[in-house]
Amino acid sequence: MQITGMLQGARLLEFVDFPTAEVLGPDATEEAIKSLIERHGAVFVKPVFKGGVGKKGKSGLIGRATDLKTALAEKERLYFAEHRHGNQYAKANGVTFEGAVPATHEVYFSITDSTQFRAPTMTLTHCGGVDIEELDPKLVAQVPFDPLTGLKAFVVANALADIGAPKEVISPLVQQLPKLWELFHDFGMTTLELNPIRMRPDRRGRLTPVACDFKGGFDRDDPRWHRLKLPPHLFAADYSDFEQEINQLRTHQGQSDVYVINDQGTILAPTFGGGANSLVTEMLGDDAIISSDFGGNPPYEKMKSVASICFKHWLRQSNVLFIIGGKSNNTDIFETFRAMADALREHFSEHGPTPLYVVVGRGGPNLVRGMGVVRDTCEALGLPYRLFGFDSAMSEVVDHAREVNEWMKAGGREAIAARLGLTSEAARVA
Amino acid sequence: MYKEGVGDFKYYVGISSLSQIATRDDRVCVLNILGGESSEVTPVGHAWSGGNVVFGTSPGRRGQVLETPIGHVPVYNSVREGLADGHRFNCGVVYLPPSAARDGVAELIRVNPDLKKVFIITEKIAVHDAREIRAMGQSNGIDIFGANCLGVADAWNQVRIGGALGGDSPGDTLRRGSIAILSNSGGFTTTIAQYLRMAGWGTTTLVSSGKDVYIHYAAPEFAFALANDARSKAAVLYCEPGGFYERDAEFNKPVVACVVGRWKAKLTRAVGHAGAMAGGSDDAAAKERWFMDKFEVDGLFTPEKPVFSAKGAVVTNIAHIPAALTAVMRANATLPDFEPEGTMELKPWFGGNGGLALPASLELPVVTAPAPYGAQIAALSQQVGAVFPRQAMKDASGASQMDPATQVSSLHGLSMLDAAQNPLEANFSLALLHESGGENDRKLVNVALGAALALYGDPALAAAEAAREAGNAPNSVLAAAVSVYGPRRSEAAQRIAHELVERFAPTGLKDALDERFDTDAVRLDPDLAALLYRDEPDPLAERMLAGIDERGARSVFVRHLRSQGGNPSADAVLAAITTTLAWGPLMRKRISRLTADSLPAWVRLFGTLLGASVPAGQHDADSFCGIPIAEIVASRSITEIACIALLGSTPKPADLSAFQNLVGMLLTNGPGTISAQGAKGAVSADGPESPERVQLNKAMAGFLTHTGYAHGGNGFEGVSFLLRQFGDSGLSDPGDPAHGLDLEAMALSYADEYAQYKSERKAQGSLDVHKIPGINHPVFKDKPVNHDPREVFIARLAEKRGEYNVFHAFYREVVQALFQRGVSRNVYCVNVDAVIAALLLKITWQPWRRGEMPAEALETAAFTVFLYARMLGCAAEIDDHLNRGRNMDTRSAASRCRFVA
Repeated sequence: MQITGMLQGARLLEFVDFPTAEVLGPDATEEAIKSLIERHGAVFVKPVFKGGVGKKGKSGLIGRATDLKTALAEKERLYFAEHRHGNQYAKANGVTFEGAVPATHEVYFSITDSTQFRAPTMTLTHCGGVDIEELDPKLVAQVPFDPLTGLKAFVVANALADIGAPKEVISPLVQQLPKLWELFHDFGMTTLELNPIRMRPDRRGRLTPVACDFKGGFDRDDPRWHRLKLPPHLFAADYSDFEQEINQLRTHQGQSDVYVINDQGTILAPTFGGGANSLVTEMLGDDAIISSDFGGNPPYEKMKSVASICFKHWLRQSNVLFIIGGKSNNTDIFETFRAMADALREHFSEHGPTPLYVVVGRGGPNLVRGMGVVRDTCEALGLPYRLFGFDSAMSEVVDHAREVNEWMKAGGREAIAARLGLTSEAARVA
Repeated sequence: MYKEGVGDFKYYVGISSLSQIATRDDRVCVLNILGGESSEVTPVGHAWSGGNVVFGTSPGRRGQVLETPIGHVPVYNSVREGLADGHRFNCGVVYLPPSAARDGVAELIRVNPDLKKVFIITEKIAVHDAREIRAMGQSNGIDIFGANCLGVADAWNQVRIGGALGGDSPGDTLRRGSIAILSNSGGFTTTIAQYLRMAGWGTTTLVSSGKDVYIHYAAPEFAFALANDARSKAAVLYCEPGGFYERDAEFNKPVVACVVGRWKAKLTRAVGHAGAMAGGSDDAAAKERWFMDKFEVDGLFTPEKPVFSAKGAVVTNIAHIPAALTAVMRANATLPDFEPEGTMELKPWFGGNGGLALPASLELPVVTAPAPYGAQIAALSQQVGAVFPRQAMKDASGASQMDPATQVSSLHGLSMLDAAQNPLEANFSLALLHESGGENDRKLVNVALGAALALYGDPALAAAEAAREAGNAPNSVLAAAVSVYGPRRSEAAQRIAHELVERFAPTGLKDALDERFDTDAVRLDPDLAALLYRDEPDPLAERMLAGIDERGARSVFVRHLRSQGGNPSADAVLAAITTTLAWGPLMRKRISRLTADSLPAWVRLFGTLLGASVPAGQHDADSFCGIPIAEIVASRSITEIACIALLGSTPKPADLSAFQNLVGMLLTNGPGTISAQGAKGAVSADGPESPERVQLNKAMAGFLTHTGYAHGGNGFEGVSFLLRQFGDSGLSDPGDPAHGLDLEAMALSYADEYAQYKSERKAQGSLDVHKIPGINHPVFKDKPVNHDPREVFIARLAEKRGEYNVFHAFYREVVQALFQRGVSRNVYCVNVDAVIAALLLKITWQPWRRGEMPAEALETAAFTVFLYARMLGCAAEIDDHLNRGRNMDTRSAASRCRFVA
């Protein structure tokens, strides 16, 4: 859950009275853009991506204009710009126009939780505007501080002194930067990065830090960011329909975390426990449709809803329904298995049978009763199955599921379809 | 900023040895002790640890207790109250919801000066709160474990604090040994301990660290405490991507590190553990490298390529941990703690092939699970038949459904169009056994039903006759008959059926037709013998047995009955037949024991209904409708007999197939129909949660009383419409295409007549125009030419068989004529009611013409054929509701009812 760019960033910074560059959104009129250029001498035109997209400058996705014609040309170029960074792909929908801030100093500032210090940590340098990793560590201050008292002016002052910052930037930064802690801590953020903050001189030469780019990460488990009343579509791009449906069931009991790995996959693996999730998804690779963690002892109703959503979206293309977890500590196997079995039965009633092989690996309270329900359901639905206890290595069970998947691809699916009285078309779906 | 603790840390750490993490001296207070998770796991941990929980809190619940196997744990509103009552503790366990966890930690720290350790089980705590929790612990000198963890356990001290390590039976997993475990995954903490134990390694202290961004007790302090723990010879670490915790850990004892999550580099969002993200310099690949550097190895340990040193090994699969550990320890001249307890190879506890031949590599044989699971599975295997979850079944059915798009209903997955091609005896099996059954099943159904419809001298027949004479419609006549046929009349047969399943199930009998099955495997004890045999020969039983022989039907149960010598009772033969029918579906868990036990009653009820639908004059001691009972039982099909009962004469083959079509198509229309509602309401009122008290005959009466002239009897409307058109036509054989009638002209003439009628009504200002029965449909309309798919199906079926029906053909002409004459804007469909009327009139045309069947009798026949079909469909609903429903589940809440002034 990330927000980048000044369109929303400027709004957030206003909450704590932190000065920002002037920004116009995609619907700005030509008069407004012209006036912005006249007041600031130039504007930066930046594409608007949902969620977090970094390194736009390096990808040539920032335009600069000193006249309206160029500004509009850049708007046309960048409005639907596409951006690829690592595994992430994003398509813009709109641009912002940001008034240029002339300055001689550019500052990098961030707050995040450091696992090295196990405390909130400020990263600060007066040599900003570039990738922080490229700088000499001596020029970068990384300072943990006490969250109970917050980011204090003296922490900023000491840090700037340690890295030898020019003296004219120290006072304005010491005055302004501590405000950012309130935005970070009180609104459920996990990362706040301003890069660059440009030090704009006023008529008398006094400097004011002006945020010219914004990146913020928000904590999904912290309701404090709801106070910001951010438009919900900002985060919507992060989730598929399926993930969104599952997320609606998200409560503190039962994880119900999902991620679509391969929407063409053929193994549907409801997984229990973060550890099992890591192991299983790694071993299944692209055969897996989703990566999931449904552990945490979900109650029957929730588990059944989660399973129904999974089946609705993915069962038809699945060769293998693979229910997998370690030896659970407190997740009731009878409750969770009964819920999934009932959901499967209902899915077959509603949407008709589909060729499927069921593989289960699990341990925990009420194990045998739970497996009994899965067995009965498979028998009633006419599906082949193998159910393993915790005394079979989980990785062996994963391999078995993969082997079953290969067999299904090589004619097994047709064989089950024929047995279920389905047409060969049903068999071909996967 | 932080209090000074042990070791050379830049932050507070209070624990110097793993042996101090969970000790027998620790005393515990659990916050939100009565919460869902805590109330399940705290009693287990408390009992296993010798009673370490002194009290718990739950605001507003002071005075309540948490029951545990070793006594009650008191509950207070707050920590202060517990302390004021004299309790003392040094460990706090937090089970509060995420928004309250931070405040709970603050309460523990502020209120209790003796506090040393806090264990936070709560997951999804906001990072904001985790920051503050960390700071509070640091400034007050408290060791915090978690959050989002499953607590800690110590196999030596036999103590577990917080969470649920070791599950509901910690001793099964936690065996005393020499290995410490630190795991980001709570589930894997137990799983790894289990894996180690199989390979001969026991455990010392197990720490589930959690995997939030803030891990309060992490690898560096674990390594420090490991070094100072004389019991621990080595450690296993389970690590996921995210965080620099492991990088800064310095180990001086051997370690196997399992690093997983390379695939997470592909993700753009955290899944599972909140902190387990990748992409930075703390991803899985980086963590593998940190450990390889620490252990001075240049690769990962796998069984194929075991790379390790005396310092340790890195694996990426938890299944490789035991082998890696054994290898590393061997390099340290250390043997496992005890003999390995098992292997980790694939051992299915349950398996089934779904009737397929699987390749050898997948055909893993089921093995006996270790104790105590093996015994549990054995007990489970003795359970025969399906068990359906109970739920409110108002307007719901597990038996029938109607597809709103095609209007085609199905019963137990078989479409009515397919059922229409099967004989009545197959649809009997479909309704109650959920499968249409094979040839042998049909033979047995014919024997059983054939014997059951002989009602001569039976009070049920007398009741029906009295009802008929009093002017009742066929449904009320039959309701009178079944009302007399109470539960006691099939009690003995049902009991025998129950006992047969009870005694044959343990023999492992798979196929009830198995000629090689040794029937001596089921010994005849005096109790069973008294049920099965009579002193004198039972004529009905002998008749049925003769019928079975005559038809060459097979049955293990009938064979068993005969092999013991003696005079089987009719109840015993019936139960043997129904158990044969039920055996396959029962073993395949398609039906429940309850259904199998009820089958004899169903046979007798259907027999009573069929028998009572014929006037008493047609019954005598040895015949039914003039056909010897012995012949019916031995050679006639019940479809044919029912058709004779309906028409009063022997049908031609084409009539028989028309009758069969009719019955199949009328079987069900889903649980929403009035007849099904009546049946379900009757079951609901008796209370299906005590199924033995539900009166099946009363449920059938419920169905029958919920049919009537508008529902079921309305089939006659179409018939009387056709009679008006064809009455004077001189038609002799409606099945002969060379009938010599000009159907088009008849249709056009009718269309003119109707158009005139309609305009006259309009001229009179009346909107009440009677509709032509069998034409148009609320779903199949609005196209230029409309078709009811069910009508199309029957038409094609007849065409395929080379059968012709002049009434059906006429209906098709009528819809064209109505369009041609401008009565309809498009070509209406001929609907399924028209098909039913056409079929019905076809088979009754000859008796009607001969004057043997007056119009009233035709109406009765139309209603009766509906009842024949629907008795099967409603029996399916009744049986389904009996198996799945709840007591009184069909009532409507008062809030949904309306008062009308």
